[in-house]
Amino acid sequence: MAVSAQLPARRARRVIARREARWGLLFVLPAFLLFLAFRFGPAIAGLVLGFMEYTIGGDAEWTGLDNARRLADDPVFWQSLRVTVVYTVLYVPLTVAASVGLALLVRRGFRGVGFFRSVFFLPVVTSLVLVATIFSWVFSSAGPWSRILGWLGLPDDSWLASSTLVLPALALVGVWSHFGYGMLIVLARLQDLPREQEEAALTDGAGPWQRFRWIVLPQLKPVLFFLLVIETTASFQVFDLVYAMTGGGPARASYTLVMALYDQGFKYFDLGYASAIGAALFAMTLVVALIQRLALGRDK
Amino acid sequence: MTTTTTAPTSAPSTPPPPTRRRRSYRALQPGPGGTVLRYVLLTVASVVTLFPFYAMVVLSLKPAAAVEFPGSLLPWPVNLDAYATVLDSRSILRWLLNTTIYSVVSVVAVLALAAMAGYAFAKKRFPGRETMFWSFLAMVMVPYHVTLIPTFILIAKVGGVDTYWGLILPTLANAQAVFLMRQFIQGLPDELFEAAKIDGASEWRMFVRIVLPLCKPILATLGVFVFLWHWNDLLWPLIIGQSGDMRTLTVGIASLQQEQVPLNVMLAGSVVAFVPIFAAYLVGQRYFTEGVTMSGIKG
Repeated sequence: MAVSAQLPARRARRVIARREARWGLLFVLPAFLLFLAFRFGPAIAGLVLGFMEYTIGGDAEWTGLDNARRLADDPVFWQSLRVTVVYTVLYVPLTVAASVGLALLVRRGFRGVGFFRSVFFLPVVTSLVLVATIFSWVFSSAGPWSRILGWLGLPDDSWLASSTLVLPALALVGVWSHFGYGMLIVLARLQDLPREQEEAALTDGAGPWQRFRWIVLPQLKPVLFFLLVIETTASFQVFDLVYAMTGGGPARASYTLVMALYDQGFKYFDLGYASAIGAALFAMTLVVALIQRLALGRDK
Repeated sequence: MTTTTTAPTSAPSTPPPPTRRRRSYRALQPGPGGTVLRYVLLTVASVVTLFPFYAMVVLSLKPAAAVEFPGSLLPWPVNLDAYATVLDSRSILRWLLNTTIYSVVSVVAVLALAAMAGYAFAKKRFPGRETMFWSFLAMVMVPYHVTLIPTFILIAKVGGVDTYWGLILPTLANAQAVFLMRQFIQGLPDELFEAAKIDGASEWRMFVRIVLPLCKPILATLGVFVFLWHWNDLLWPLIIGQSGDMRTLTVGIASLQQEQVPLNVMLAGSVVAFVPIFAAYLVGQRYFTEGVTMSGIKG
Protein backbone atom coordinates (compact mmCIF):
# COMPACT_ATOMS: atom_id res chain seq x y z
CA MET A 1 0.00 0.00 0.00
CA ALA A 2 2.67 2.47 1.05
CA VAL A 3 4.88 1.54 -1.89
CA SER A 4 2.16 1.97 -4.49
CA ALA A 5 1.29 5.39 -3.06
CA GLN A 6 4.91 6.52 -3.29
CA LEU A 7 5.43 5.45 -6.86
CA PRO A 8 3.23 7.98 -8.65
CA ALA A 9 4.59 10.73 -6.42
CA ARG A 10 8.14 9.82 -7.27
CA ARG A 11 7.28 9.59 -10.94
CA ALA A 12 5.57 12.98 -10.80
CA ARG A 13 8.62 14.45 -9.16
CA ARG A 14 10.82 13.01 -11.88
CA VAL A 15 8.56 14.46 -14.56
CA ILE A 16 8.73 17.85 -12.89
CA ALA A 17 12.52 17.63 -12.59
CA ARG A 18 12.82 16.75 -16.26
CA ARG A 19 10.56 19.63 -17.21
CA GLU A 20 12.68 21.94 -15.05
CA ALA A 21 15.87 20.75 -16.71
CA ARG A 22 14.41 21.23 -20.16
CA TRP A 23 13.35 24.79 -19.40
CA GLY A 24 16.64 25.53 -17.68
CA LEU A 25 18.58 24.49 -20.76
CA LEU A 26 16.23 26.41 -23.01
CA PHE A 27 16.76 29.60 -21.00
CA VAL A 28 20.54 29.25 -20.97
CA LEU A 29 20.94 28.14 -24.56
CA PRO A 30 20.77 31.47 -26.47
CA ALA A 31 23.34 33.14 -24.24
CA PHE A 32 25.51 30.03 -24.20
CA LEU A 33 25.57 29.62 -27.98
CA LEU A 34 26.54 33.27 -28.47
CA PHE A 35 29.15 32.80 -25.82
CA LEU A 36 30.60 29.72 -27.54
CA ALA A 37 30.68 31.50 -30.90
CA PHE A 38 32.05 34.86 -29.83
CA ARG A 39 33.99 34.36 -26.61
CA PHE A 40 35.03 30.77 -26.01
CA GLY A 41 35.73 29.80 -29.62
CA PRO A 42 37.62 33.00 -30.47
CA ALA A 43 39.67 32.79 -27.27
CA ILE A 44 40.93 29.33 -28.25
CA ALA A 45 41.27 30.34 -31.90
CA GLY A 46 43.20 33.45 -30.90
CA LEU A 47 45.80 31.37 -29.12
CA VAL A 48 45.99 28.85 -32.00
CA LEU A 49 46.29 31.61 -34.61
CA GLY A 50 49.33 32.89 -32.75
CA PHE A 51 51.14 29.81 -34.12
CA MET A 52 49.96 30.33 -37.68
CA GLU A 53 50.58 32.42 -40.72
CA TYR A 54 47.13 33.66 -41.60
CA THR A 55 46.17 36.28 -44.16
CA ILE A 56 42.77 37.75 -44.85
CA GLY A 57 42.63 35.89 -48.18
CA GLY A 58 42.17 32.73 -46.14
CA ASP A 59 45.65 31.19 -46.58
CA ALA A 60 46.46 29.50 -43.29
CA GLU A 61 49.68 27.69 -42.51
CA TRP A 62 50.94 26.24 -39.27
CA THR A 63 54.29 27.87 -38.60
CA GLY A 64 54.86 26.84 -34.98
CA LEU A 65 57.00 29.27 -33.05
CA ASP A 66 57.79 31.50 -36.05
CA ASN A 67 55.56 34.28 -34.79
CA ALA A 68 57.13 34.11 -31.35
CA ARG A 69 60.61 34.35 -32.91
CA ARG A 70 59.45 37.23 -35.07
CA LEU A 71 58.13 39.02 -31.98
CA ALA A 72 61.44 38.51 -30.18
CA ASP A 73 63.32 40.08 -33.10
CA ASP A 74 60.83 42.85 -33.77
CA PRO A 75 61.98 46.24 -32.44
CA VAL A 76 58.49 47.65 -32.98
CA PHE A 77 57.02 44.99 -30.67
CA TRP A 78 59.60 45.72 -27.97
CA GLN A 79 58.93 49.42 -28.36
CA SER A 80 55.19 48.88 -27.92
CA LEU A 81 55.84 46.70 -24.87
CA ARG A 82 58.09 49.36 -23.36
CA VAL A 83 55.52 52.10 -24.07
CA THR A 84 52.76 50.02 -22.48
CA VAL A 85 54.81 49.33 -19.35
CA VAL A 86 55.89 52.99 -18.97
CA TYR A 87 52.29 54.13 -19.42
CA THR A 88 51.14 51.62 -16.79
CA VAL A 89 53.83 52.70 -14.31
CA LEU A 90 52.80 56.35 -14.72
CA TYR A 91 49.04 55.85 -14.89
CA VAL A 92 48.23 53.26 -12.22
CA PRO A 93 49.77 54.84 -9.07
CA LEU A 94 48.47 58.30 -9.98
CA THR A 95 44.94 57.00 -10.60
CA VAL A 96 44.83 55.01 -7.38
CA ALA A 97 46.23 57.94 -5.38
CA ALA A 98 43.72 60.39 -6.89
CA SER A 99 40.88 57.91 -6.29
CA VAL A 100 41.74 57.47 -2.61
CA GLY A 101 42.40 61.17 -2.04
CA LEU A 102 39.10 62.30 -3.48
CA ALA A 103 37.17 59.46 -1.85
CA LEU A 104 38.48 60.69 1.53
CA LEU A 105 37.45 64.26 0.69
CA VAL A 106 33.87 63.32 -0.23
CA ARG A 107 33.57 60.62 2.41
CA ARG A 108 31.28 62.26 4.94
CA GLY A 109 28.12 64.16 4.28
CA PHE A 110 28.40 67.92 3.95
CA ARG A 111 26.81 70.65 1.91
CA GLY A 112 27.45 69.99 -1.77
CA VAL A 113 28.88 66.48 -1.40
CA GLY A 114 26.50 65.05 -4.00
CA PHE A 115 27.51 67.71 -6.49
CA PHE A 116 31.21 66.96 -6.10
CA ARG A 117 30.69 63.21 -6.43
CA SER A 118 28.71 63.69 -9.66
CA VAL A 119 31.31 66.04 -11.08
CA PHE A 120 34.17 63.62 -10.47
CA PHE A 121 32.32 60.75 -12.15
CA LEU A 122 31.41 62.75 -15.27
CA PRO A 123 34.69 62.05 -17.13
CA VAL A 124 34.15 58.30 -16.64
CA VAL A 125 30.95 58.37 -18.72
CA THR A 126 32.56 60.47 -21.45
CA SER A 127 33.86 58.71 -24.56
CA LEU A 128 37.65 58.59 -24.73
CA VAL A 129 37.48 59.85 -28.31
CA LEU A 130 35.89 63.08 -27.07
CA VAL A 131 38.37 63.23 -24.21
CA ALA A 132 41.20 62.85 -26.74
CA THR A 133 39.77 65.60 -28.95
CA ILE A 134 39.61 68.19 -26.22
CA PHE A 135 42.91 67.21 -24.60
CA SER A 136 44.71 67.43 -27.95
CA TRP A 137 43.90 71.11 -27.66
CA VAL A 138 44.75 71.31 -23.95
CA PHE A 139 48.25 69.96 -24.66
CA SER A 140 48.74 71.77 -28.00
CA SER A 141 51.22 74.64 -28.12
CA ALA A 142 48.33 77.16 -28.12
CA GLY A 143 46.51 75.35 -25.31
CA PRO A 144 46.45 75.98 -21.56
CA TRP A 145 49.00 73.34 -20.52
CA SER A 146 51.83 74.74 -22.64
CA ARG A 147 50.85 78.32 -21.90
CA ILE A 148 50.82 77.83 -18.13
CA LEU A 149 54.20 76.06 -18.28
CA GLY A 150 55.45 79.03 -20.31
CA TRP A 151 54.19 81.54 -17.73
CA LEU A 152 56.05 79.56 -15.06
CA GLY A 153 59.22 79.90 -17.10
CA LEU A 154 59.30 76.23 -18.11
CA PRO A 155 59.73 74.92 -21.67
CA ASP A 156 56.39 75.47 -23.39
CA ASP A 157 56.57 73.09 -26.35
CA SER A 158 53.59 70.81 -26.84
CA TRP A 159 54.01 67.63 -24.79
CA LEU A 160 52.27 65.66 -27.53
CA ALA A 161 55.09 66.51 -29.93
CA SER A 162 57.80 65.36 -27.53
CA SER A 163 58.88 61.73 -27.51
CA THR A 164 59.68 61.83 -23.78
CA LEU A 165 56.67 63.85 -22.58
CA VAL A 166 53.93 62.29 -24.71
CA LEU A 167 53.45 59.36 -22.32
CA PRO A 168 53.20 61.52 -19.18
CA ALA A 169 50.64 63.63 -21.05
CA LEU A 170 48.61 60.55 -22.04
CA ALA A 171 48.85 59.16 -18.50
CA LEU A 172 47.54 62.44 -17.07
CA VAL A 173 44.58 62.33 -19.44
CA GLY A 174 44.03 58.70 -18.46
CA VAL A 175 43.98 59.67 -14.78
CA TRP A 176 41.60 62.55 -15.47
CA SER A 177 39.21 60.29 -17.33
CA HIS A 178 39.13 57.43 -14.84
CA PHE A 179 39.84 58.52 -11.23
CA GLY A 180 36.10 58.95 -10.59
CA TYR A 181 35.61 55.20 -11.02
CA GLY A 182 38.17 54.29 -8.35
CA MET A 183 36.84 57.06 -6.14
CA LEU A 184 33.38 55.47 -6.06
CA ILE A 185 34.83 52.02 -5.35
CA VAL A 186 36.97 53.29 -2.47
CA LEU A 187 34.07 55.41 -1.22
CA ALA A 188 31.76 52.39 -1.03
CA ARG A 189 34.31 50.61 1.17
CA LEU A 190 34.96 53.69 3.32
CA GLN A 191 31.28 53.98 4.09
CA ASP A 192 31.17 50.38 5.31
CA LEU A 193 33.96 50.94 7.83
CA PRO A 194 32.78 50.96 11.44
CA ARG A 195 33.22 54.31 13.12
CA GLU A 196 34.21 53.07 16.55
CA GLN A 197 37.94 52.58 15.98
CA GLU A 198 38.38 56.01 14.48
CA GLU A 199 36.43 57.55 17.34
CA ALA A 200 38.59 55.74 19.88
CA ALA A 201 41.73 56.94 18.13
CA LEU A 202 40.36 60.47 18.09
CA THR A 203 39.73 60.28 21.84
CA ASP A 204 43.34 59.13 22.26
CA GLY A 205 44.46 62.25 20.42
CA ALA A 206 45.38 60.78 17.03
CA GLY A 207 45.47 63.37 14.23
CA PRO A 208 43.83 62.96 10.81
CA TRP A 209 46.97 61.57 9.16
CA GLN A 210 47.57 59.06 11.98
CA ARG A 211 43.94 57.92 11.85
CA PHE A 212 44.23 57.44 8.10
CA ARG A 213 47.62 55.70 8.20
CA TRP A 214 46.94 53.27 11.03
CA ILE A 215 43.18 52.70 10.99
CA VAL A 216 41.64 53.48 7.60
CA LEU A 217 44.44 52.46 5.24
CA PRO A 218 44.88 48.89 6.58
CA GLN A 219 41.17 48.28 6.11
CA LEU A 220 41.29 49.64 2.56
CA LYS A 221 43.98 47.16 1.55
CA PRO A 222 41.72 44.65 -0.24
CA VAL A 223 39.89 47.32 -2.23
CA LEU A 224 43.14 49.06 -3.17
CA PHE A 225 44.46 45.75 -4.38
CA PHE A 226 41.35 45.22 -6.48
CA LEU A 227 41.79 48.70 -7.99
CA LEU A 228 45.46 48.09 -8.72
CA VAL A 229 44.67 44.89 -10.61
CA ILE A 230 41.76 46.42 -12.56
CA GLU A 231 43.67 49.55 -13.52
CA THR A 232 46.84 47.62 -14.43
CA THR A 233 44.93 45.26 -16.70
CA ALA A 234 43.11 48.22 -18.25
CA SER A 235 46.31 50.13 -18.93
CA PHE A 236 47.88 47.07 -20.60
CA GLN A 237 44.98 47.37 -23.04
CA VAL A 238 45.02 51.14 -23.58
CA PHE A 239 43.96 51.95 -27.13
CA ASP A 240 41.15 54.51 -27.62
CA LEU A 241 43.00 57.41 -26.07
CA VAL A 242 46.23 56.75 -27.96
CA TYR A 243 44.51 56.06 -31.27
CA ALA A 244 42.46 59.27 -31.12
CA MET A 245 45.06 61.55 -29.54
CA THR A 246 48.49 60.71 -30.96
CA GLY A 247 47.99 57.75 -33.30
CA GLY A 248 50.98 56.21 -31.52
CA GLY A 249 53.34 59.06 -32.34
CA PRO A 250 55.50 61.01 -32.43
CA ALA A 251 57.76 58.38 -34.02
CA ARG A 252 56.08 55.48 -32.14
CA ALA A 253 56.80 57.14 -28.77
CA SER A 254 53.24 56.31 -27.65
CA TYR A 255 52.75 53.15 -29.70
CA THR A 256 51.08 50.70 -27.29
CA LEU A 257 50.61 46.94 -27.55
CA VAL A 258 47.00 47.16 -28.69
CA MET A 259 47.99 49.81 -31.26
CA ALA A 260 50.52 47.28 -32.59
CA LEU A 261 47.86 44.55 -32.56
CA TYR A 262 45.43 46.80 -34.42
CA ASP A 263 47.97 47.81 -37.06
CA GLN A 264 49.22 44.27 -37.68
CA GLY A 265 45.70 42.88 -37.84
CA PHE A 266 43.69 45.54 -39.60
CA LYS A 267 46.22 47.66 -41.48
CA TYR A 268 48.64 44.96 -42.70
CA PHE A 269 46.14 42.08 -42.32
CA ASP A 270 48.81 39.88 -40.82
CA LEU A 271 46.26 38.17 -38.59
CA GLY A 272 48.51 35.40 -37.27
CA TYR A 273 51.15 37.83 -36.11
CA ALA A 274 48.52 40.11 -34.58
CA SER A 275 47.18 37.11 -32.65
CA ALA A 276 50.66 36.44 -31.31
CA ILE A 277 50.68 39.99 -29.92
CA GLY A 278 47.29 39.23 -28.39
CA ALA A 279 48.75 36.11 -26.78
CA ALA A 280 51.56 38.22 -25.29
CA LEU A 281 48.93 40.55 -23.86
CA PHE A 282 47.06 37.58 -22.41
CA ALA A 283 50.28 36.33 -20.80
CA MET A 284 50.84 39.73 -19.17
CA THR A 285 47.28 39.71 -17.81
CA LEU A 286 47.79 36.21 -16.43
CA VAL A 287 50.97 37.28 -14.64
CA VAL A 288 49.06 40.10 -12.93
CA ALA A 289 46.29 37.68 -11.95
CA LEU A 290 48.89 35.26 -10.60
CA ILE A 291 50.56 37.97 -8.51
CA GLN A 292 47.10 38.86 -7.22
CA ARG A 293 46.46 35.23 -6.19
CA LEU A 294 49.82 34.96 -4.47
CA ALA A 295 49.44 38.24 -2.62
CA LEU A 296 45.91 37.40 -1.46
CA GLY A 297 47.07 33.95 -0.40
CA ARG A 298 49.82 35.49 1.69
CA ASP A 299 47.34 37.80 3.39
CA LYS A 300 45.17 34.94 4.62
CA MET B 1 17.93 63.72 23.57
CA THR B 2 14.50 62.35 24.44
CA THR B 3 15.77 58.77 24.46
CA THR B 4 18.12 59.60 27.33
CA THR B 5 15.29 60.41 29.71
CA THR B 6 12.98 57.59 28.64
CA ALA B 7 15.52 54.82 29.03
CA PRO B 8 15.53 53.95 32.70
CA THR B 9 17.23 50.58 32.23
CA SER B 10 20.51 51.92 30.83
CA ALA B 11 23.34 51.85 33.33
CA PRO B 12 24.55 55.27 34.42
CA SER B 13 28.16 54.54 33.48
CA THR B 14 27.43 53.93 29.77
CA PRO B 15 26.49 57.07 27.88
CA PRO B 16 23.19 56.89 25.97
CA PRO B 17 23.90 55.75 22.40
CA PRO B 18 22.07 58.36 20.32
CA THR B 19 23.77 61.33 21.97
CA ARG B 20 27.16 59.70 21.81
CA ARG B 21 26.77 58.86 18.18
CA ARG B 22 25.83 62.36 17.24
CA ARG B 23 28.64 63.97 19.18
CA SER B 24 31.32 61.70 17.77
CA TYR B 25 29.94 62.12 14.28
CA ARG B 26 30.66 65.80 14.65
CA ALA B 27 34.02 65.09 16.19
CA LEU B 28 35.14 63.12 13.14
CA GLN B 29 34.21 66.06 10.95
CA PRO B 30 37.09 68.46 10.36
CA GLY B 31 37.32 71.74 12.29
CA PRO B 32 36.81 75.15 10.63
CA GLY B 33 40.31 75.11 9.13
CA GLY B 34 39.84 71.59 7.83
CA THR B 35 36.48 72.45 6.31
CA VAL B 36 37.97 75.38 4.40
CA LEU B 37 40.86 73.22 3.21
CA ARG B 38 38.44 70.52 2.08
CA TYR B 39 36.34 72.98 0.08
CA VAL B 40 39.45 74.52 -1.48
CA LEU B 41 40.79 71.12 -2.56
CA LEU B 42 37.42 69.99 -3.87
CA THR B 43 36.93 73.24 -5.78
CA VAL B 44 40.33 72.93 -7.43
CA ALA B 45 39.62 69.30 -8.35
CA SER B 46 36.20 70.24 -9.74
CA VAL B 47 37.65 73.04 -11.85
CA VAL B 48 40.26 70.65 -13.27
CA THR B 49 37.51 68.11 -13.96
CA LEU B 50 35.03 70.53 -15.52
CA PHE B 51 37.40 72.81 -17.43
CA PRO B 52 37.81 70.47 -20.45
CA PHE B 53 34.02 70.23 -20.81
CA TYR B 54 33.73 74.01 -20.65
CA ALA B 55 36.49 74.37 -23.24
CA MET B 56 34.80 71.80 -25.48
CA VAL B 57 31.54 73.76 -25.53
CA VAL B 58 33.06 77.25 -25.77
CA LEU B 59 35.60 76.43 -28.47
CA SER B 60 32.90 74.76 -30.55
CA LEU B 61 31.16 78.15 -30.59
CA LYS B 62 34.20 79.99 -32.00
CA PRO B 63 35.55 80.52 -35.48
CA ALA B 64 38.15 77.96 -36.58
CA ALA B 65 41.12 80.26 -35.96
CA ALA B 66 40.32 80.93 -32.29
CA VAL B 67 42.33 78.34 -30.39
CA GLU B 68 44.64 80.52 -28.29
CA PHE B 69 44.51 80.08 -24.52
CA PRO B 70 43.17 81.98 -22.64
CA GLY B 71 41.78 84.52 -25.11
CA SER B 72 39.48 82.07 -26.89
CA LEU B 73 37.72 80.95 -23.70
CA LEU B 74 35.32 83.86 -23.32
CA PRO B 75 31.84 82.51 -23.99
CA TRP B 76 30.91 85.35 -26.35
CA PRO B 77 30.53 86.22 -29.19
CA VAL B 78 28.76 83.02 -30.16
CA ASN B 79 29.50 81.70 -33.63
CA LEU B 80 27.52 78.72 -34.91
CA ASP B 81 29.58 78.07 -38.05
CA ALA B 82 31.09 74.88 -36.68
CA TYR B 83 27.66 73.40 -35.99
CA ALA B 84 26.46 74.40 -39.43
CA THR B 85 29.48 72.66 -40.96
CA VAL B 86 29.17 69.55 -38.86
CA LEU B 87 25.43 69.17 -39.49
CA ASP B 88 25.61 70.08 -43.17
CA SER B 89 28.50 68.43 -44.84
CA ARG B 90 29.36 65.67 -42.45
CA SER B 91 27.43 62.49 -41.97
CA ILE B 92 27.15 63.09 -38.25
CA LEU B 93 23.41 62.38 -38.17
CA ARG B 94 24.07 59.03 -39.77
CA TRP B 95 26.77 58.33 -37.16
CA LEU B 96 24.36 59.30 -34.42
CA LEU B 97 21.79 56.91 -35.85
CA ASN B 98 24.37 54.11 -36.07
CA THR B 99 25.51 54.64 -32.49
CA THR B 100 21.91 54.71 -31.29
CA ILE B 101 21.07 51.45 -33.09
CA TYR B 102 24.27 49.81 -31.82
CA SER B 103 23.58 50.85 -28.22
CA VAL B 104 19.83 50.40 -27.95
CA VAL B 105 19.56 47.02 -29.70
CA SER B 106 22.53 45.70 -27.74
CA VAL B 107 21.15 46.80 -24.39
CA VAL B 108 17.77 45.19 -24.97
CA ALA B 109 19.29 41.95 -26.26
CA VAL B 110 22.00 41.69 -23.59
CA LEU B 111 19.49 42.26 -20.81
CA ALA B 112 17.04 39.69 -22.20
CA LEU B 113 19.74 37.05 -22.73
CA ALA B 114 21.40 37.69 -19.38
CA ALA B 115 18.11 37.64 -17.47
CA MET B 116 17.11 34.32 -19.01
CA ALA B 117 20.51 32.69 -18.50
CA GLY B 118 20.93 34.19 -15.04
CA TYR B 119 17.51 32.88 -13.99
CA ALA B 120 18.31 29.38 -15.24
CA PHE B 121 21.73 29.32 -13.55
CA ALA B 122 20.26 30.60 -10.30
CA LYS B 123 17.02 28.63 -9.96
CA LYS B 124 16.96 25.63 -12.32
CA ARG B 125 18.73 22.30 -12.16
CA PHE B 126 19.89 20.91 -15.47
CA PRO B 127 22.78 18.76 -16.68
CA GLY B 128 25.97 20.71 -17.41
CA ARG B 129 24.93 23.70 -15.35
CA GLU B 130 28.14 24.00 -13.36
CA THR B 131 30.43 23.43 -16.36
CA MET B 132 28.61 26.05 -18.38
CA PHE B 133 28.63 28.55 -15.57
CA TRP B 134 32.33 28.16 -14.83
CA SER B 135 33.25 28.45 -18.48
CA PHE B 136 31.34 31.74 -18.55
CA LEU B 137 33.22 32.91 -15.51
CA ALA B 138 36.65 31.85 -16.77
CA MET B 139 36.16 33.89 -19.94
CA VAL B 140 35.89 37.11 -17.95
CA MET B 141 39.65 36.70 -17.43
CA VAL B 142 40.53 36.58 -21.14
CA PRO B 143 41.24 40.07 -22.50
CA TYR B 144 38.83 41.29 -25.13
CA HIS B 145 41.72 41.85 -27.55
CA VAL B 146 42.67 38.17 -27.63
CA THR B 147 39.27 37.30 -29.08
CA LEU B 148 39.16 40.33 -31.37
CA ILE B 149 40.91 38.88 -34.42
CA PRO B 150 39.18 35.47 -34.56
CA THR B 151 35.84 37.22 -34.01
CA PHE B 152 36.62 39.52 -36.92
CA ILE B 153 37.58 36.56 -39.14
CA LEU B 154 34.36 34.78 -38.21
CA ILE B 155 32.19 37.81 -38.92
CA ALA B 156 34.04 38.53 -42.17
CA LYS B 157 33.55 34.91 -43.31
CA VAL B 158 29.78 35.07 -42.79
CA GLY B 159 29.52 38.45 -44.50
CA GLY B 160 28.91 40.60 -41.44
CA VAL B 161 31.42 43.37 -42.21
CA ASP B 162 29.64 46.70 -42.67
CA THR B 163 26.32 45.37 -41.38
CA TYR B 164 24.40 46.16 -38.21
CA TRP B 165 24.11 42.52 -37.22
CA GLY B 166 27.84 42.00 -37.68
CA LEU B 167 28.41 44.97 -35.44
CA ILE B 168 25.94 43.96 -32.75
CA LEU B 169 25.91 40.15 -32.57
CA PRO B 170 29.39 39.47 -31.12
CA THR B 171 28.95 42.07 -28.38
CA LEU B 172 25.89 40.23 -27.06
CA ALA B 173 28.09 37.51 -25.56
CA ASN B 174 28.42 39.34 -22.26
CA ALA B 175 29.62 37.03 -19.50
CA GLN B 176 29.66 39.71 -16.79
CA ALA B 177 26.00 40.49 -17.39
CA VAL B 178 25.03 36.83 -17.01
CA PHE B 179 27.11 36.58 -13.86
CA LEU B 180 25.53 39.65 -12.25
CA MET B 181 22.01 38.53 -13.14
CA ARG B 182 22.64 35.11 -11.59
CA GLN B 183 23.97 36.72 -8.40
CA PHE B 184 20.90 38.91 -8.13
CA ILE B 185 18.31 36.22 -8.88
CA GLN B 186 19.97 33.83 -6.44
CA GLY B 187 19.14 36.34 -3.73
CA LEU B 188 15.41 36.22 -4.51
CA PRO B 189 13.44 33.85 -2.24
CA ASP B 190 12.37 30.53 -3.82
CA GLU B 191 8.85 30.86 -2.37
CA LEU B 192 8.01 33.51 -4.95
CA PHE B 193 8.54 30.99 -7.72
CA GLU B 194 7.00 28.04 -5.89
CA ALA B 195 3.71 29.87 -5.43
CA ALA B 196 3.46 30.66 -9.12
CA LYS B 197 4.34 27.08 -10.02
CA ILE B 198 1.50 25.76 -7.85
CA ASP B 199 -0.84 28.18 -9.57
CA GLY B 200 0.11 26.39 -12.78
CA ALA B 201 1.79 29.32 -14.49
CA SER B 202 3.83 28.28 -17.51
CA GLU B 203 7.58 28.71 -17.32
CA TRP B 204 7.65 31.49 -19.87
CA ARG B 205 4.82 33.39 -18.24
CA MET B 206 6.49 33.03 -14.89
CA PHE B 207 9.69 34.48 -16.30
CA VAL B 208 7.92 37.46 -17.85
CA ARG B 209 5.41 38.10 -15.06
CA ILE B 210 7.49 37.35 -11.97
CA VAL B 211 11.22 37.17 -12.63
CA LEU B 212 11.58 40.23 -14.86
CA PRO B 213 9.60 42.63 -12.63
CA LEU B 214 11.60 41.51 -9.59
CA CYS B 215 14.82 42.18 -11.50
CA LYS B 216 13.95 45.77 -12.37
CA PRO B 217 16.63 47.40 -10.19
CA ILE B 218 19.47 45.26 -11.49
CA LEU B 219 18.20 45.52 -15.07
CA ALA B 220 18.28 49.31 -14.83
CA THR B 221 21.79 49.39 -13.42
CA LEU B 222 23.14 46.81 -15.82
CA GLY B 223 21.33 48.45 -18.74
CA VAL B 224 22.93 51.82 -18.05
CA PHE B 225 26.36 50.23 -18.08
CA VAL B 226 25.88 48.18 -21.20
CA PHE B 227 24.50 51.29 -22.90
CA LEU B 228 27.48 53.38 -21.84
CA TRP B 229 29.94 50.76 -23.01
CA HIS B 230 28.35 50.52 -26.45
CA TRP B 231 27.86 54.26 -26.87
CA ASN B 232 31.55 54.89 -26.16
CA ASP B 233 32.99 51.78 -27.83
CA LEU B 234 35.62 52.50 -30.46
CA LEU B 235 37.66 49.44 -31.43
CA TRP B 236 34.98 47.00 -32.61
CA PRO B 237 32.95 49.53 -34.67
CA LEU B 238 36.26 50.79 -36.11
CA ILE B 239 37.09 47.30 -37.33
CA ILE B 240 33.67 46.18 -38.50
CA GLY B 241 32.19 49.43 -39.85
CA GLN B 242 34.65 50.12 -42.61
CA SER B 243 32.50 52.13 -44.99
CA GLY B 244 31.58 55.72 -44.19
CA ASP B 245 27.90 54.86 -43.78
CA MET B 246 28.53 52.34 -40.99
CA ARG B 247 30.65 54.60 -38.80
CA THR B 248 29.52 55.24 -35.25
CA LEU B 249 30.03 58.59 -33.53
CA THR B 250 33.30 57.55 -31.92
CA VAL B 251 34.69 56.19 -35.19
CA GLY B 252 33.43 59.21 -37.11
CA ILE B 253 34.94 61.78 -34.78
CA ALA B 254 38.24 59.89 -34.69
CA SER B 255 38.20 59.92 -38.50
CA LEU B 256 37.68 63.70 -38.50
CA GLN B 257 40.89 63.98 -36.52
CA GLN B 258 42.79 62.11 -39.19
CA GLU B 259 41.29 64.32 -41.89
CA GLN B 260 42.71 67.42 -40.13
CA VAL B 261 39.29 69.00 -39.74
CA PRO B 262 39.44 72.34 -37.83
CA LEU B 263 39.20 72.06 -34.05
CA ASN B 264 35.92 73.94 -33.71
CA VAL B 265 34.16 71.53 -36.11
CA MET B 266 35.56 68.51 -34.30
CA LEU B 267 34.44 69.92 -30.96
CA ALA B 268 30.98 70.67 -32.34
CA GLY B 269 30.79 67.01 -33.32
CA SER B 270 32.00 66.07 -29.86
CA VAL B 271 29.27 68.15 -28.24
CA VAL B 272 26.65 66.41 -30.39
CA ALA B 273 28.04 63.05 -29.26
CA PHE B 274 28.27 64.11 -25.63
CA VAL B 275 24.80 65.61 -25.12
CA PRO B 276 22.84 62.31 -25.09
CA ILE B 277 25.21 60.67 -22.60
CA PHE B 278 25.24 63.80 -20.45
CA ALA B 279 21.43 63.90 -20.40
CA ALA B 280 21.31 60.21 -19.49
CA TYR B 281 23.84 60.84 -16.73
CA LEU B 282 21.82 63.72 -15.27
CA VAL B 283 18.64 61.64 -15.22
CA GLY B 284 19.95 58.24 -14.19
CA GLN B 285 22.98 59.14 -12.13
CA ARG B 286 22.01 56.78 -9.33
CA TYR B 287 22.25 53.80 -11.69
CA PHE B 288 25.67 54.82 -12.94
CA THR B 289 27.09 54.98 -9.44
CA GLU B 290 25.37 51.79 -8.33
CA GLY B 291 26.81 50.01 -11.34
CA VAL B 292 30.33 50.92 -10.30
CA THR B 293 29.94 49.69 -6.77
CA MET B 294 28.60 46.37 -8.04
CA SER B 295 32.02 46.36 -9.70
CA GLY B 296 33.50 43.81 -12.01
CA ILE B 297 31.81 45.70 -14.80
CA LYS B 298 34.06 47.34 -17.31
CA GLY B 299 34.36 50.93 -16.14
